[in-house]
Amino acid sequence: MAREKYIKMLLMACASLSFLAILLIFLFIFQESLPAITRIGIPNLFSAAWNPDKGQYGMLAFLIGTLLSTLGGLLIGAPLGIGTAVFLDQVAPSRMANVIRRGVELLAGIPSVVIGWFGLIILVPFIARITGSAGYGIAAASVVLAVMVLPTITALGAETLRSLPPELKEASVAMGATRWQTIRKVLLPAGKEGILVAVVLGMGRAIGETMAVQMVVGNSSQLTLNPFQPTGTLTSNLVTNMGEAVGNFRAALFAQALVLLILSMILIVSIRFITRKKEA
Amino acid sequence: MSTDLKTGVEIARPSVEVVGDLCEFKDSRIEGIIQQSIARNEKRAHFYDRVATVTVWTLSIIGLGILAFIIFVILYRGIATALTPGFIFGKPQALKEGGGIWPMIVSSFYLALLTIAIVLPLGVGAAVYLTEFSREGRITRLVRFGADSLSTVPSVVFGIFGMVLFVIYFGLGYSLLAGAFTLALLNMPTVMRTTEEAIKAVPHSYREACLSLGASRWETAKKIVLPSAMPGITTGVVLTVGRIVGESAAVLYTVGLFVRKVPVSPLQPAAPMAANIWHMYTEGALVSDWMRVANGEAAFLLLVVLVLNLGARLIARIYQKRLGMVS
Repeated sequence: MAREKYIKMLLMACASLSFLAILLIFLFIFQESLPAITRIGIPNLFSAAWNPDKGQYGMLAFLIGTLLSTLGGLLIGAPLGIGTAVFLDQVAPSRMANVIRRGVELLAGIPSVVIGWFGLIILVPFIARITGSAGYGIAAASVVLAVMVLPTITALGAETLRSLPPELKEASVAMGATRWQTIRKVLLPAGKEGILVAVVLGMGRAIGETMAVQMVVGNSSQLTLNPFQPTGTLTSNLVTNMGEAVGNFRAALFAQALVLLILSMILIVSIRFITRKKEA
Repeated sequence: MSTDLKTGVEIARPSVEVVGDLCEFKDSRIEGIIQQSIARNEKRAHFYDRVATVTVWTLSIIGLGILAFIIFVILYRGIATALTPGFIFGKPQALKEGGGIWPMIVSSFYLALLTIAIVLPLGVGAAVYLTEFSREGRITRLVRFGADSLSTVPSVVFGIFGMVLFVIYFGLGYSLLAGAFTLALLNMPTVMRTTEEAIKAVPHSYREACLSLGASRWETAKKIVLPSAMPGITTGVVLTVGRIVGESAAVLYTVGLFVRKVPVSPLQPAAPMAANIWHMYTEGALVSDWMRVANGEAAFLLLVVLVLNLGARLIARIYQKRLGMVS
């Protein structure tokens, strides 16, 4: 069956495309950022000074912006998501669970520009009014990111809880434990790895989220720890400046993209690590 | 008193009577204390249980509330300020007020169509390979690792990768086709996964029956497995269309931000709604009613995505019903 053999090879080519694509992405982004590493130099690239007109290409402010907004997003989004997952799997009456599940799916489907637009017209003015600042900054970005990581964490968390063997719960309840004791002492510890993976994937989404963050973070290059001061993130800086950047400036932006890629790779590898530990 | 056998030293050992006394003592007082503390613990446990129940109810309702609030605000603003037939079917304006968004709507769907045309064969092919033509091994692990990695790559990175590879290197320029290739890679993992799940749900007996009649693997996959997996694949495609229409970061620097006319050829630049909303916000100060345009566009985009999501669910349910009647 020669034909069968060709088809198998064709299908294998389709499948290997996923691996090929990630290699290509790495290769091209690395190649484009190479001038930044050789001509601008690593110390300049990771310094705190960002002023492309003067040849300063430090991404520290953006790196910190990315980390802080991700952390903020998870701080709000993870408890909400895990709580909702517990609710879905253990507490909710089935009709209510259906409503929540559909709501979460819908929330996951809302385009990030639309959430960004919502942040811009509602959230930023609201923060501006209660704090007296301009409203843009890490705080606004964190809230927007919380909304975006919520569906990821909820869906994966609920799936983890659902896949636990029912004997665990039955044994705990038979011993006279209350529902909360069962959840806290039996189910959550048993599903620890899965929930951790859910949070890490949420983190990946938060680090990579671009448009929604760009619209509310303020897009300045100042390094600040004040959540109500405008600042920037790696993604927001990329998307704001990519249009007109040339030469070293462009290479520096690609270097930031490379950092983003490496961050997301670290997350993927750590997920592998978490799940492998569980299997062993 | 008794004597230690090794040292001969007399040591005190409680007699049986003393132990009995202790038991008596425990019965009367400690038992009471223990009972009380058990009751208190139980009460506390029930209190915490109540608190936890209220908390998770509240958290879930907050989540649902956020969703409802976002949808309400976006739709309300859009409908109140912009969404009229004249706006939806109107021509965009770059310098004066009163622009519409028809070319953007067409761009979004055109891009989605092209992307699906590219990603569907690739994703389905990959899924068929993984489920029907291979055993778990080094290759499948590599493929899965690739797909997992692809799905965590930030979309803005896909965007600039697409810009370098398709727009510049392959010389496609800012065009629907360059964007479609980029988005095909971006959506490949999702299409692969949903197809794989749909294929895995097909009962093994179907395949066995077909193979036992002398059909080859590919014939079995083509004539039996894929048709049976169609409902799942269709649902996945509709959801992917929703994702493509909503995608902006990967589209900005591959397809374009603003056009005046409806794009005709896939080699022309276009301006999908999601990208254009962002354009309105960043450079929109060129037209004084940029806020109105963005409001209307956001509302329309949200409506499209909601309809696609509900549509995907409807398709799944219709298929389920039909399958239920057959079996």
